[in-house]
Amino acid sequence: MKKKGKLLSSVLASFMIVSALAGCSGNDGNKASPSDSAASKAAPSESASASSASNETGLDTSKKVELQFYMLGDAPKDLPAIQSEINKMALEDLNATVKFNFTSWTDWDQKYKLLLSSGQPVDLIFTADWTQYQSYAKSGAFLPLDDLLPAAAPKLQAFVPQDMWDAVRIEGKIYTVPATYKEYVNNGFVYREDLREKYNLPVPKDITSFEAYLDGIKANEPGIQPLSMNSDVRQNLMDVFREVNDDTIGGPLPYGIGIKYNKPGEFYSYWGSDEQKKDLETVQRWQQKGFFAKNVLNVKDTLQDPITSGKAAAILGDNPTRYNDTMSKMQSTHPDWKLGYTPYAESRGFATPVHPIHNGFAIPQSSKNPERALAFYEKMVTDKRYNQLTQYGIEGKNYTVEDGYYKMVGDNTSNGFLREGMQGWAWRNPEFMLFDKSYDGVKAIFDKLDAIAKPDLFTGFVEDYSSYQPERAALEQVEKQYFYPLYAGLVKDIDEGIKTAMDKANNAGLQKIQASYKQQWLDYVAKNGIK
Amino acid sequence: MPTRKTFIRELITNRILFIMLLPTIVFFLINSYVPMVGIYYAFTRFDFNTSLFNSQFVWFDNFEFLWKSGILTKLTLNTLGYNLAFILFGNILAIISAVLLSELKLKWFKKLAQSIMFLPYFISFVILSVIVYNLFGYENGFLNTFLKSFGLEPVDVYNTPWLWVILVVVFYIWKNLGYSMIIYLAAITGISEEYYEAAKIDGANIFQRTWYVTIPMLKTTFIVLLLFALGSIMKGQFDLFYQLIGNNGVLYNATDILDTYVYRSLKVTFDIGMASSAGLYQSLFGFVLVMTVNSIIRKVNEDYALF
Repeated sequence: MKKKGKLLSSVLASFMIVSALAGCSGNDGNKASPSDSAASKAAPSESASASSASNETGLDTSKKVELQFYMLGDAPKDLPAIQSEINKMALEDLNATVKFNFTSWTDWDQKYKLLLSSGQPVDLIFTADWTQYQSYAKSGAFLPLDDLLPAAAPKLQAFVPQDMWDAVRIEGKIYTVPATYKEYVNNGFVYREDLREKYNLPVPKDITSFEAYLDGIKANEPGIQPLSMNSDVRQNLMDVFREVNDDTIGGPLPYGIGIKYNKPGEFYSYWGSDEQKKDLETVQRWQQKGFFAKNVLNVKDTLQDPITSGKAAAILGDNPTRYNDTMSKMQSTHPDWKLGYTPYAESRGFATPVHPIHNGFAIPQSSKNPERALAFYEKMVTDKRYNQLTQYGIEGKNYTVEDGYYKMVGDNTSNGFLREGMQGWAWRNPEFMLFDKSYDGVKAIFDKLDAIAKPDLFTGFVEDYSSYQPERAALEQVEKQYFYPLYAGLVKDIDEGIKTAMDKANNAGLQKIQASYKQQWLDYVAKNGIK
Repeated sequence: MPTRKTFIRELITNRILFIMLLPTIVFFLINSYVPMVGIYYAFTRFDFNTSLFNSQFVWFDNFEFLWKSGILTKLTLNTLGYNLAFILFGNILAIISAVLLSELKLKWFKKLAQSIMFLPYFISFVILSVIVYNLFGYENGFLNTFLKSFGLEPVDVYNTPWLWVILVVVFYIWKNLGYSMIIYLAAITGISEEYYEAAKIDGANIFQRTWYVTIPMLKTTFIVLLLFALGSIMKGQFDLFYQLIGNNGVLYNATDILDTYVYRSLKVTFDIGMASSAGLYQSLFGFVLVMTVNSIIRKVNEDYALF
């Protein structure tokens, strides 16, 4: 009797395991059926043309689907409410529901890569030059949209101008839906204007006048750190420094490469050049004058927070929109402080509007319902209800419209959906856009820049690094270990520092990388007739 | 074939026991052995468009980046060194504090001390990095403000690599001491009172009781913990190093370990092949190490060996 009980329990246990296993393999079956989903991908285009007579959108919506939508950054608090509103409409229009997923900004780049390579179903994902759209598209992470667009989203196809479609093509194919809103993300000096007036300091216009401004702050305001800087000295210090001082073509340029906007056909190594030496001397002087923390490489604040809290007085370079955000955030707690802005265009003489690649949405390879995803995205862009709901939230609850201006309800903390709370840069539709009154300042800057706009020559370039993958990975380490201390002005003997860094870089294969990049770049320049 | 026959007979006679073992076997098959197929990634070029086994086989190309910059030896030594320090100092301190705590008579104080020591374990590394920066920051750090108030020269901790060799170990132990101590405390509780009573009757004082009874009884626990720790000796404490050191290249010579190097190198280049190759290198190294140490232990005293 006793023995039987034992047997029974062990049999039961093994049953439970087996059923757990079955659950697992069931999941696996769903996941690992690329051939199935490929077949279903191919099929709907046929059925779409077949059923187009009955369905005006030319889309097979007979099966209800859930779309996985991925955006970078943090989800707004009121997202569930917005999502259910959207789903009500989407269910009716497209027999689809959508789940809005957010990566948060922490390690977003890792998560982004995993989303694309792990094979989990993702139907729509944000793309930009800074998320390596070009490389991913080239390596086949996204579905080409050329054939999908006329069938699934004809309205969207017509809405985006043809030259923008052409500009996002990678090797002849369209992989992303570009945003049509024209903006500038060129940098400019951000500085405390009230302090400048108080001590009668020069207006920062170039590196020299900026340094004079910082000197004045250092001398008069011992409690304030003149320059806001953090550990990412490559991006936040050197890249912007070169943008205003060295006429870089755009970028950030990788591997210590130098290309000038006004001489795109001339390619040189910035690392080890006299130009770099001069730049580093300036940065070292700034470090020694105490413009930013000595341990800057361990500072993890954002650049903007110390400005809004009054701990720092200036940012070397930021784009107009973010400057405006910083200013309104600062003035919400310190209304008497003023923040000034000088676009680099004032000294460079021109500005470049964003390239269409800068904001977009693509359909990854892993999508199970690419047509429906594209049709849904069409709604997000071209349907005012979808668009304003996902950009500004619920009217009356999250915002109101006064004299054509956007007005937030409550404040930053009480409002559950701030303006563009879903980071909806990519599906902005100029016809439906609402602006805060404070945004007039940015518009004024944009209008000024419009007059001196020149095309972005760099973003259309697609780097193919497959031939120097290992060198590229090794060089990353060399830059962090040997160039970052130089960028932070911490190395006393600059000549010696550059020499060591260059030796290490050459060991890691810098020559091979630069030679290959140069060849690709010159081909691109020749092919596109850039002079 | 006598061996096969005995195995089958064993299977039949102990079938209940084997059925009871089954869940564990299945668990490890699914979670540890099946994923090993992914090792193949280390030898292929990753491609979004095809499956794993259709990708191009590239032999050892993916391993190239590990020695490309010629720092593999240094990374390996750093990783090994730090982990050995963690294991050694961590265990010694854990044993000492466990013995001390177990001798405490006041119950509420014992509980309090234990909780206080355990608390840092729950502090995330991100917060730890903020605490450390506020302690050692050059301009406004606690240490330098303190030194300056006494008219002393400030210390630039973040640009002094050798200091970090000590600091990293100190912070690791500060954070993990409470946790490893509890394991030893449990082992001490498991030691029968009779030994102590016998020792007392023989006239042993408290130090002798600790040295001749407690410590030898903890030896097995120590060896098992040691072997477990050795298995992952090539997997450094990524969070700790990444958060404390971050982008500070000045300190890399003294503080860079394999994990942080791999993370940095592949952050830009995300390549599954190269990441797998680094993981494979770490695992193989750990495997060889565990096998060697285990066989040494088995030679010395078979009872203590893990297998």
